[in-house]
Amino acid sequence: MRNLIALSLIQVTFLAACGGGGYTSGGGPPPSQNIATPGPPNVETITVDMGPSGVSAVNTAYVSIQICVPNNPAMCQTIDHVEVDTGSTGLRILAGALNLTNVPLPQETNGTPTVFMTECLRFADGSSYGSLRFADITLPVSMKTASSVVVQVIGDPLYPTVPSTCPGPAENTVTAFGANGILGVGPFAQDCGSACVATAQPSTYYSCPSTSTCGASTATLAQQVANPVTLFSSDNNGVIVELRPVGSAGAATVTGSLVFGIGTQSNNALGSATVLQEDTFSGLITATYKGTAYSHGFIDSGSNGNFFTDSSIKTCTTPPSPNPWYCPSAEVSETATLQGTNAMMLTANFSVANADGLFNTGYTAFSNLGGTNPDPTGMGFDLGLPFFFGRNVYTAIENATAGSYVGPYFAY
Amino acid sequence: MKLTGALLSSIVLTAAVATPAFAALGGDSATVQADVARMKGALRITSSAGVTVHEITTSYGTVVREYLTPGDKVFAVSWHGPVNLDLRQMLGDYYTQYEQAASMPHPGGHRHLAIEQPGLVVQVSGRMRAFVGRAWVPGLVPQNFSVNDIN
Repeated sequence: MRNLIALSLIQVTFLAACGGGGYTSGGGPPPSQNIATPGPPNVETITVDMGPSGVSAVNTAYVSIQICVPNNPAMCQTIDHVEVDTGSTGLRILAGALNLTNVPLPQETNGTPTVFMTECLRFADGSSYGSLRFADITLPVSMKTASSVVVQVIGDPLYPTVPSTCPGPAENTVTAFGANGILGVGPFAQDCGSACVATAQPSTYYSCPSTSTCGASTATLAQQVANPVTLFSSDNNGVIVELRPVGSAGAATVTGSLVFGIGTQSNNALGSATVLQEDTFSGLITATYKGTAYSHGFIDSGSNGNFFTDSSIKTCTTPPSPNPWYCPSAEVSETATLQGTNAMMLTANFSVANADGLFNTGYTAFSNLGGTNPDPTGMGFDLGLPFFFGRNVYTAIENATAGSYVGPYFAY
Repeated sequence: MKLTGALLSSIVLTAAVATPAFAALGGDSATVQADVARMKGALRITSSAGVTVHEITTSYGTVVREYLTPGDKVFAVSWHGPVNLDLRQMLGDYYTQYEQAASMPHPGGHRHLAIEQPGLVVQVSGRMRAFVGRAWVPGLVPQNFSVNDIN
């Protein structure tokens, strides 16, 4: 509580500074969007659709990725519908989408040859558990490659016993997870970082003398699941997610580009984008909305809606009860001001339409899907994939120089 | 009720108990001690209007607060930090109810979860390096205590 009070005071100071002539940009109609053409050396194709069979995804961006046994190009599998997530770090594949018989990825050890490592990946709504294995990866359109990448194989049948310290609900199947895998290209270089080097964190990394006796373990930075972008030989300081605009009625599918690197090629310059430096510890920024500063702000392709607090917008009355999606009787236009830990500010315009009406279309992409934010501090402000439609959103990785700034930052 | 004022009278203890146990919601102050040991954290105890708050801070920036009734029962827990907590430990006997409710389809995907049932409220939000959550048992919350003060 004391930390939050301290943050609030800092925000007030910044806001006052901005009101006195600080930088604000991004207001008005969005500038014409230039989407990089997919292909080598650094642009992957993104598709927003229903997801893999058995999943009815909404506002979820996917790429395909090829997984190979290291140094064995004959033992490969291309996995479709891997979610592009700028809010997590690391490549993870669901065992249900991977043929480990044909592609027997070697396991990572903790340094002792027979003691293998597993991980419990924590989300706000559950956990995904599985082995850590090495793979050579290729993004099939850009032909970006990385060798001996530590990949989490979620739901690995070799480790059917989920440790009791990896709490549920389990998201270890394609249908429970909502994708065949997840490509975490967020602002951090490793998923856990230094905290897991020093101490065996609860519910994170495990060492397994046998497949059913996994205990909490430390993990060196090299042993941890890393942001795959950092492992590329070039274009490795961040990504740009470039998705086409979606109108008020939604869209059945949307395509776009995942651009690797910032300021490294002619197609990924920072240009006129405004940089919002993130808190280096938490990756958070501040969003000011209707006079309130929300200190737990972020922009995140892995969120399928814009989640924020506004008691003037009614929530849906259809089941479940309570239903956290917003259901205004007519579409409403909203504005927030985003502010990084630097003095830069950006105007964030977005709309909110009736979620029931949107879902009734059967479409998969909505720029105006919003819901309440359950962040218990009341400080949450999450601009999810809806915010990405029609904007090129930059996510720069911690400690990397991207353009003339050092990550972590958001920009658009 | 303002709990911040009570921080002035806080006591700082260090972990000394090594009893492994699942604790927290519905438990008593002895189970809080077990949590301190499990998390290798430092404990600060504050109290106001009969409600005692045990705050555990770990070396890696996670803060857990456990709210106890005048009758020494944990009626609420909250947490924030870079990793999401072991909810089986935090929710104790209420974990099964949480897991069943959280397994239902819900808005917010991997980033947000809100459970609002007559016997249990759980709110979790965040992503890697920045999680925040709280849970309480409405039937255990003291009459003069506002749940807005669980944070």
